[in-house]
Amino acid sequence: MAKTAQEKLDAKREKAYYKKHKNMYRVTPGDVIFNIINYTVFTLFTITCIYPFYYLFINTISNNKEVSLGRVNFYPVGINIDNYLALRNVNDLGNAFIVTTTRTIIGTALMVLASAFVGYLVTKQEMWHRSLCYRFLVITMYFNAGLIPGYMNMVMLGLNNNYLVYIIPGIVAPYNIILVKTYIESIPAELEESAFIDGASHITVFRKIIWPLSKPILATIAIFGAVGHWNSFQDSLIYMSNNPKMLTLQHRLYVYLQQSSNLGTLASTGSVSASQMKDAVEKMMNTKVTQYTVSMMSVIPILVVYPFMNRYFEKGIMLGAVKG
Amino acid sequence: MKGSVEKGAGDYMLYVTRLLTGVLAILAFIPSFNPVRASKLVSDQVALFTSAVSYSSLTKESEFQLRSGIVDSTMFILINVAAIVLIIGILGMVAGACLSLGNINLKRLSLIISAIGGVVGAVGCVLVFVAKGHAAGLANGAGEANLPKSLLFYMISIIIILLISVICFFIMPGFDADEGFYMESTYKLFLMFLPFGVLAFLFCYLPLWGWRYAFFDYEVGGTIGMKNFVGFKWFGYLFKTKATRNDVFQTIINTLAMSSLGLIFSWLPMAFAIFLCEIKNLTFRRFVQTFTTVPNFISWVLVYALALSLFDTTGFINQLKVYMGIIKDASEEGTNYLMSTRFIWFKMWAWGTWKGIGWSAIIYIAGISGIDQQLYEAATVDGAGRFQKMWHVTLPGLLPTFFVLLLMSIAAILSNGLDQYLVFENARNANKLSVLDLYVYHLGLGSNGSIPLSTVVGMFKSIISVILLFGANSASKALRGESII
Repeated sequence: MAKTAQEKLDAKREKAYYKKHKNMYRVTPGDVIFNIINYTVFTLFTITCIYPFYYLFINTISNNKEVSLGRVNFYPVGINIDNYLALRNVNDLGNAFIVTTTRTIIGTALMVLASAFVGYLVTKQEMWHRSLCYRFLVITMYFNAGLIPGYMNMVMLGLNNNYLVYIIPGIVAPYNIILVKTYIESIPAELEESAFIDGASHITVFRKIIWPLSKPILATIAIFGAVGHWNSFQDSLIYMSNNPKMLTLQHRLYVYLQQSSNLGTLASTGSVSASQMKDAVEKMMNTKVTQYTVSMMSVIPILVVYPFMNRYFEKGIMLGAVKG
Repeated sequence: MKGSVEKGAGDYMLYVTRLLTGVLAILAFIPSFNPVRASKLVSDQVALFTSAVSYSSLTKESEFQLRSGIVDSTMFILINVAAIVLIIGILGMVAGACLSLGNINLKRLSLIISAIGGVVGAVGCVLVFVAKGHAAGLANGAGEANLPKSLLFYMISIIIILLISVICFFIMPGFDADEGFYMESTYKLFLMFLPFGVLAFLFCYLPLWGWRYAFFDYEVGGTIGMKNFVGFKWFGYLFKTKATRNDVFQTIINTLAMSSLGLIFSWLPMAFAIFLCEIKNLTFRRFVQTFTTVPNFISWVLVYALALSLFDTTGFINQLKVYMGIIKDASEEGTNYLMSTRFIWFKMWAWGTWKGIGWSAIIYIAGISGIDQQLYEAATVDGAGRFQKMWHVTLPGLLPTFFVLLLMSIAAILSNGLDQYLVFENARNANKLSVLDLYVYHLGLGSNGSIPLSTVVGMFKSIISVILLFGANSASKALRGESII
């Protein structure tokens, strides 16, 4: 993990500070015990956060026979990538992958553009009924008509079982608009004014001044938006009931998981005999590895992107604390 | 630069044009107001806009009639053309209405454009009659001719717009060659905002219109009309039959129990942050912080996939048992921990905490770095130990943030979300996991669902949530003098 210059400086100062006040910070036995416990607890918790992903991963790259015998618990055995190659044969997975990828790209791009533009518009005091327009958007964060009226609304608009339901409702995101608006307000107004004096239009000012200057906040909302699109499950579940070709990746994964979970229900209620169960479980083992692999496929993009985007995530939650 | 400052009768008439044009433009997206449905062979799920852009959706429900030759494609082509013409007319009227916000020259231009749009729209309406005539002329009534009521509304609106355009053209001041075309930036900005306002209206405000289903005896695919209006029947129905009553009570208990668990332990992220900041090794601290936030960014489906891989019959825990010799064969003797209902509320809370604690702690970590270092120095000089500093300096510094977040979670006490409970639900634990959001989902979209009943429950939830939010807000205002929304 790369330290920023500021962090290095902080650490240096902290060290110098402790040196200077050595007596005041004498380490007591109580401190040592506390430190040991503290480090242990955090280490254990961090392991519980990492290990499940690791476990899933080693099971997907190991020899399937070893996996079904339950021998892959801590390290991979017989490394190969056959499981990933076999994903080509899994029904509908390709579709789900395309749907999710395209909605992530298109949906995020449109959301960012719209948030930036609307965020800019609502900072303009001279806009006709500006505060009314702004409130019209913001109020929508605090109420929700509910799941069924929302569903009937989509049916009425003809968006049910339609790919566009993934894109259009997400374009206007009030929360992101607030974030962008707050950010734009912190940009010195003189920049815009000088451009207006030179005869620039609102669109030009937005393109040439506001858009480049607000890139940090736009990157933040873009990343949050992209993660949201990638993880989307509920809209697919509710609006795609009759269009199985358009399910998102997470929904597809859910369908696979349900299939094995149903088997578990049968086993625990005792409605199948033990020998039948054994056959079924053996068949299931293959499915199980497939599930692991599909899960891995859908989580890898996030795990890969995450370390690079970490600072944006943190910035995002801090911005959230600022109210519009 | 400005046109006439005084408002004349023409300006007031233009308000009517703008309003009517806006209504027509929105109705173009609503299937139940499709004015070109000249035949019942066209699905009632198709809106005017869809009829114009997609010929295939017009004929979707009557492919059989088309193929067998009962109906010829002429009727559908006529409807399609009528829709295209009508949409072009509406586009013209919308452009006119937008331009009418400009100066006098733009206004005169807008009147011409509106009038052209109106004429085109009227032609579209006439084409609908032609299509209807064609449908009626087909043998044995196979065309199922239909004259949609909304067509009347469209015709009246278009005639009014045409009349106003013509009248205004004569009563308004003439073209001013010196002025050029100009619109004040206040209206320009508003027009740029308008498309986004419309989107917000369509997806956030229009669903409220769906609350009407609570008062009707509605079934999927049916219609709503005075004949199936049932008043408050469904509100009483919730508590009338024993089965529903038990379901509702169990759901409310589950919801409140799991929300309360969350509230009781809402200090955990704060404790997490305080203890994490006691770690002086910055590398280790960043490491912990980075990896404990990862689970927040994976979906609940993936959490469930992880849970399956760990706690299933053949999952990690059972394999570990085999490894240590406690059981012999995982697939035969293994325990499926996800099936058990013991401590299920607590387990759900634990999953939620595992997923969210690292993330929720970030705001407190930032809060701690915002606390004045001099306070710690002063405390040290006064002889305060490590725990005393944590208790008397760090904690009070974080409490305001904690209270805001606590109030927010009290306001959200009924909204546990749908995803988590849906993915963890199975035949054994369904009863204990049914929270309001999940109950509404199953009740409305389940196999033998009831749209009205589900709408009633959802309505109650929405209204109570808004009341709670404003209650929390006024509590915050009274206690801290700060608003949280």
